[in-house]
Amino acid sequence: MSNERIDLPQGTLDLLILKTLALEPQHGWAVSERIQQISSEVLRIQQGSLYPALHRLERRGWIKAKWGASENNRRAKYYELTKSGRKQLEAEESAWRKLIAAVGQVLETA
Amino acid sequence: MLSDLLYRLRALSRRKSMEAELDEELRAHFERQVEKYIQSGLTREEAARRARLEFGGLEQVKEECRDSWGVTLIQALLRDVRYGLRQLRRTPGFTAVAVVTLALGIGGNVAVFSLLDTVLLRPLPYLHPDRLYMFFPVEAESQRAMVASSYPNFQDWHEQSHAFEAMAGYHGESLSLTGTAEPERLDGLRSTPGLFALLGILPLLGREFSPSDDPHVVLLTYELWRRRFGGNAAIIGKSIHLEGRTYSVLGVLPPHFHFPPSRWGRAPELFVPVIPNPDRGWHYLRVIGRLAPDITEQQAGTEMNGIAARLAQAYPDTNRDQGIALDQLSQYVVSGVRETMWVLLGAVAFVLLIACTNVANLLLSQGATREREIAIRTAVGATRSRLLRQLLTESLLLAGMGGALGVALAYWTLPLMASALPQHTSFFTRVHDAGFKLNSTVFTFAVLLSVLSCALFGLLPAWRTTKPARGSGASVRTGRIRSVLIGLEVALSFVLLAGAGLMMKSLVRLLGVDVGFRTERLLTMDVSLAGEKYSSAENQAAFFGQVLQRLESLPSVLSVGATVDLPLTRSWTRDSFEIPGPNPRQGLAAYHAVSPDYFRTMGIPLLSGRELLTADSAGTPLVGVVNRSLAQKYWPNENPVGKTIIATRAVEQSTSKGTRVEFKQQELEIVGVVGDVRQLGLDAPPDPELFMPYTQWASSEMSLVLRTASDPSSLIPVAKKEIWRVDPDQPVTDIRTMDELVSTEAAGRRFVLQLIGAFAAIALVLAAVGIYGVVSYGTRQRTHEIGIRMALGARGQQILWLVAGQNAKWLLIGITTGVASALALTRLLTAYLYAVRPTDPLTFVAVSLLLLAVAMLAVYIPARRATKVDPMVALRYE
Repeated sequence: MSNERIDLPQGTLDLLILKTLALEPQHGWAVSERIQQISSEVLRIQQGSLYPALHRLERRGWIKAKWGASENNRRAKYYELTKSGRKQLEAEESAWRKLIAAVGQVLETA
Repeated sequence: MLSDLLYRLRALSRRKSMEAELDEELRAHFERQVEKYIQSGLTREEAARRARLEFGGLEQVKEECRDSWGVTLIQALLRDVRYGLRQLRRTPGFTAVAVVTLALGIGGNVAVFSLLDTVLLRPLPYLHPDRLYMFFPVEAESQRAMVASSYPNFQDWHEQSHAFEAMAGYHGESLSLTGTAEPERLDGLRSTPGLFALLGILPLLGREFSPSDDPHVVLLTYELWRRRFGGNAAIIGKSIHLEGRTYSVLGVLPPHFHFPPSRWGRAPELFVPVIPNPDRGWHYLRVIGRLAPDITEQQAGTEMNGIAARLAQAYPDTNRDQGIALDQLSQYVVSGVRETMWVLLGAVAFVLLIACTNVANLLLSQGATREREIAIRTAVGATRSRLLRQLLTESLLLAGMGGALGVALAYWTLPLMASALPQHTSFFTRVHDAGFKLNSTVFTFAVLLSVLSCALFGLLPAWRTTKPARGSGASVRTGRIRSVLIGLEVALSFVLLAGAGLMMKSLVRLLGVDVGFRTERLLTMDVSLAGEKYSSAENQAAFFGQVLQRLESLPSVLSVGATVDLPLTRSWTRDSFEIPGPNPRQGLAAYHAVSPDYFRTMGIPLLSGRELLTADSAGTPLVGVVNRSLAQKYWPNENPVGKTIIATRAVEQSTSKGTRVEFKQQELEIVGVVGDVRQLGLDAPPDPELFMPYTQWASSEMSLVLRTASDPSSLIPVAKKEIWRVDPDQPVTDIRTMDELVSTEAAGRRFVLQLIGAFAAIALVLAAVGIYGVVSYGTRQRTHEIGIRMALGARGQQILWLVAGQNAKWLLIGITTGVASALALTRLLTAYLYAVRPTDPLTFVAVSLLLLAVAMLAVYIPARRATKVDPMVALRYE
């Protein structure tokens, strides 16, 4: 584990999960792999914390779960974005961008 | 939001499979991760180690997932409930007392609320009943509303008003049904066409009146149709005999139809058209209307008063200064009982408060004995909020059980309450019409009330009990709270007892009123003559003459009399008379046609002059007897015997336009003065009355009174038979003994007294139980101290005074507060009191003594037990 890995800020895990699932339905392990790969292994996610987040999002109705067969024919629980999940993702994405822009501005000018 | 809830419920109900799925999901993740590392060249052990490290604690992840399901709170609650139930089972005595106490409080409230629901909340059984309005002509000057209007006025209102989409006039009338089996006097209603359409009621069979109908048509209620005509549908178009004439049956109304939902009990059983009276001053029609859509009550009122003003201008003789008041039918129906309802609800709310106070006290003692348990749980890390939740869950369980038992109690009391309902009030009619049972509104009320009581009795004890212990000071303070609660309980009970005491005294006074005649062994019955053969005064008088003669000869009849208006029946006809002379004076009196033996039969004393005689007949000069009130009012310092007055007689005359009533002036001589009777009711002071021989002022409707030697009700069959020997077609109705009449008269007050009395009794018992509980707990706590005192030589009596004295302070404070509150609150009872002021000192003293005696007994028993303690045992206590 290199020192360049950073912990995820509070509340961003939900956003990352939603974004990952926006491409296609996936099971938990694939979600974690995907986030690691895309973020060039910079973001460090405690793999265990992924599942409570997935279950919470499911309860909120933003994603829904279905058991299906995986690529190597094993049973796996697939998560899929719902309509209200897609809306939530858009809202969270734009909020995130605003936050980044604002923080960036402060850092540059202050 | 909804999907969230569904998810939680599923998680709760499918707990096992959720767990299994979670297991499988996490294991699958773990295996994939291990495989990934094996592929990258690690050994199986090394791969598993790394995967475990990256994953974090498995059990912790699972717990976090369960948290995500949103069921942990509910599960904790279920755990609390299970724990609470175990706790309550461990102290069965406490639980039983608390549950029964709450059941009495909640049950009483539920019972009274279901009465309120039936009488006030449930809509009247007509179409959009909130748009139905009653019309009342108002005299602008006195602002006094009249109940009825005249036919021409009604017609003008009907034609000129646009705010009402329909309007109808009606008035009650008794009609004799003959020609089938026993003749029967029925309550009927005369109405203008369109009444049923206005109410939104379609006849079950046939149709309702139309303006083109012959006046001799009739609509039957479903119940009358079944009872008298066997429910035969072929009745439509057939003729029946009413008042000796044939009426053709136009329709049958649907089952359970009642109109009007009157305040005076009996609903009409048949409906016939109104006979128009062209006299604009003859007020006999009640008017009802249905407000048009989008019109407000205010707009309608403005329009109607505009119409009234135009009529006042056009017909100043009859309509001058006359306005129109509107009252929503649903409001009109319950006016008079609404206040009673609130008084009852207030009284029963006191019972609940007392019950809650008691249970709060019980919980406080419980809390003290559970100090150790609380301390241990705090020590192992339970937070205060966690403990509060636990204690409140227990309270909620108690409230729930109390509420359930309370609903059962209410279910059991409803029939009792229904049988006690006073007739001739909308209590009776509404309950009779709408049925009296527990419905969902009542259940909702019961649930809300249980939760409310839980808050009332549970919050304070839970707060105190979970307060971190700070030496013994806390328990002293708890002791004070308990004393304050006892004081409160005594004060609340006092108010209820004072109310019940005042009402009881009123009822005793009312039933003890001198009615002016002897009520025992008097049988009364009404006979009204109908048909062509009784259209003449001679025939009417002849019929009653024969009936009186026949009844007189019955073996156990001592004497027989007849009168137009029986005392205590609230019926009379008042009219004016003139006292002639150089300065003629006008007077007002109730007119009664009576038989000569009426006074003797009733036991009304003759004060001066002579009674009416059989010799006073149609052919002899007109005579009259007055009562003492009339004599004193119009001849305060003289004997009226021998004076002449000019009386008014109303004569009905049928014309082509309808029935017109004309007034004739007739001179009569006063020949005697008799004692006053309570004509209008037990509580109504006597008014001037004038009695004339029925042979001179014949009437088609008279009440017969029989003074009997034996039980009056045993004479009913023979008396009826004798009357029917004279004419088998004349119905005999309202057969009652005078004692029954007196008891009906007091029924309204008795009903309120019964309920408030029951509440007061429950309050007294609860207060006694509460005081007993607090004192016995207090002395038990002080066993050690008492032991020391006794060891040092204190005698039993001193200990007794010590314990009693400490508690007496709070009892006295309670009673004082009770007196103050009662002084403020018993005013609300004024309407139910008779000859008793709401602040009657004697009642207040009696109630204080009763309450003090019961309270001191509740103090004495445990205090006495404390003195019996063996000092050695006491010193070793704890």
